[in-house]
Amino acid sequence: VTPSEGARGGTGRQLEMESVLALRGLVLLRDSVEWEGRSLLKALIKKAALGGEQVHILGCEVSEEEFRAGFDSSVNSRLVYYDLFRDPLNWAQTGEALPGGPLGALQAMCERTDPGPVTVALDSLSWLLLRLPCAALCQALCAMSRRHACRGGSLAAEQLCVLGLLHRELHGPGPMGALSSLAQTEVTLSGTAGQASAHILCRRPRQRPTLETLWFSVLPDLSLDLQGGPPLESQPHPDPHTPQVDPASHLTFNLHLSKREREAKDSLTLPFQFSSEKQQALLRPGPGPATSRIFYEPDTFDDLDPEDPDGDLDV
Amino acid sequence: MAAVATCGTGAGSTGSVVAAGSKNHVTSFQRRGPRASGSDSSYSRLVSIAGTRPSVRNGQLLVSTGLPALDQLLGGGLAVGTVLLIEEDKYNIYSSLLFKYFLAEGIINGHTLLVASAKEDPADILQELPAPLLDDNFKKDFDEEACNHKTAESNIKMKIAWRYQLLPKMEAGPVSSSRFGHYYDASKKMPQELIEASKWHGFFFPEKSSSTLNIEPCSLTHGYIKLLQFIQNIIYEEGFDGSNPQKKQKNILRIGIQNLGSPLWGDDICCTENGNSHSLTKFLYVLRGLLRTSLSACMITMPTHLIQNKAIISRVTNLSDTVVGLESFIGSERETNPLYKDYHGLIHIRQIPRLNNLIYDVSDVKDLAFKLKRKLFTIERLHLPPDLSDTVSRSSKQDLAEPSKLLGPGCGVMAGGKKHLDF
Repeated sequence: VTPSEGARGGTGRQLEMESVLALRGLVLLRDSVEWEGRSLLKALIKKAALGGEQVHILGCEVSEEEFRAGFDSSVNSRLVYYDLFRDPLNWAQTGEALPGGPLGALQAMCERTDPGPVTVALDSLSWLLLRLPCAALCQALCAMSRRHACRGGSLAAEQLCVLGLLHRELHGPGPMGALSSLAQTEVTLSGTAGQASAHILCRRPRQRPTLETLWFSVLPDLSLDLQGGPPLESQPHPDPHTPQVDPASHLTFNLHLSKREREAKDSLTLPFQFSSEKQQALLRPGPGPATSRIFYEPDTFDDLDPEDPDGDLDV
Repeated sequence: MAAVATCGTGAGSTGSVVAAGSKNHVTSFQRRGPRASGSDSSYSRLVSIAGTRPSVRNGQLLVSTGLPALDQLLGGGLAVGTVLLIEEDKYNIYSSLLFKYFLAEGIINGHTLLVASAKEDPADILQELPAPLLDDNFKKDFDEEACNHKTAESNIKMKIAWRYQLLPKMEAGPVSSSRFGHYYDASKKMPQELIEASKWHGFFFPEKSSSTLNIEPCSLTHGYIKLLQFIQNIIYEEGFDGSNPQKKQKNILRIGIQNLGSPLWGDDICCTENGNSHSLTKFLYVLRGLLRTSLSACMITMPTHLIQNKAIISRVTNLSDTVVGLESFIGSERETNPLYKDYHGLIHIRQIPRLNNLIYDVSDVKDLAFKLKRKLFTIERLHLPPDLSDTVSRSSKQDLAEPSKLLGPGCGVMAGGKKHLDF
């Protein structure tokens, strides 16, 4: 716990946020053009360094001086920096570059870590993803945590934290999805009205993933200032009286009537429901044979006996 | 295909009825035919493999998937020699659970296991298997047997079902009952002695892979080649394909492959659309050939939600025999839907094979949902919740109130105006 945060007082909410920020495993910091993530990355690095962990940094996107700016000397002395920015393809052949290109650099970083809590920061994972095949990068990331676990014993898997900065707009859904499936924690940076927020999706093995939202800001001395909620002038929360999702909307059978069907149903006359006029007409004794008559013309084969119209006398 | 030969073709049955000691017989009917003594009688040998049973429909030899509810939906179980493909849910929680049930069922039945993974060590996977549930009848039976020696008089008290006392008790071990599918308690782990007593082979890809070879497109990736060679070796060495006829007792090989197609196997179909799209399909094709000629059953879990090229998914479905898709509600908007509030996800039976058959054995229910309680993974038919809102019922009553006005005064209870009675 950094001294500045401890001084602010350990309220319950602060401690809860601290536990959410206890990041282990592969952590993806997904930032975008509007909400950049390097300052958060540096804040987390500072927190880890002051917490006594070893910190190894693979710098690819910005120069070492620019990255180290903002850290005070105590933190700077603890950082182990591998520079891939100045000479990524090793043209200068100075011999101090790591062999094997970026992939070799990742493997070498892992080998140089001592057992114990380690934070590895990759600035940035996007740079690596654009230059290495995605499958190879995923395998290398998994191998890092595994190799660290092999050397350290049973608890060591929990002690390696790989922070990877990923720029959301640079990659398609394929690589992003593949890295998300590997990551233990995904921090998505966004925000409203000048206040940055981090949506933290934590996937613990064999448990349901949890989603939390933190509102934070990074102070100039690279310490994290966690706030309880969005600023007051921000958008209101989603309406709590949003209509409930209709359960009968996407079923394989149809429960509701459309407008046309409803009209057809309403205009249907049932067989024994009469309008009042027709009912009266039926109940009234009719004008007799005027309404219905049978006309019959006897033809040549008929043999009508006027005395015996039914033809049943045995004569 | 490991089909069960029908009894009628028992060659040259001499009609000798073997009057064995009747203490082991449950019924008084005795089968005419050659007894399995010494010489190879394939019919009785195949049927007597532990943990299998012939299908009721077509005589196909089936093994349980570890989940009796899923067995029922698949027509009795998983046919030996086929592939069951599970399309993973988004966070890979329930598919890994089904994978573990499959392996645990293998251990309980004494089958040989082959576990292949690129993410976790197979030894770790086996440590996490769920413990089997002893059902209560069975436990009572077992306890009764145990105390039978001491208190014989207490049995007299059982007046109901007294006939059952006359039947001899079946001998069975503590867990290995003669039942086909078993239930597992997901909160407890499988006892260590059962795992150690079982025979298993593990394939952990990061350990087996040497260097990254340069492969040409349209061929199998390195990981898949290694895995196929491993499976082929095991099948051949242990005689699952019948190549070792001196083996006394036939057994089933249960193959479990986790996260096939993910980037950790070296396959990039989850990363790009135009990757090596034939590698996975070739793998499945070769795997099916290996399975059809051996006594094995395979379960594969695949993260199809990550595959970018949708055509590959349909090809993969065609190349597998049984395909089941899991869709969990975690994190999706369906969580708030009152229709789904009792369940954890939907299960889609995408394909069921036609094995030696012209018709499918498909259930007529398409809306199936699953729920994971602590001890039980249940699959149920999805049905609507009871009428939730007033508006639905009110409209139908309003329709009735209008025409009831027109009836004569002598008719109907609801006559007399718009106000309807609410029962």
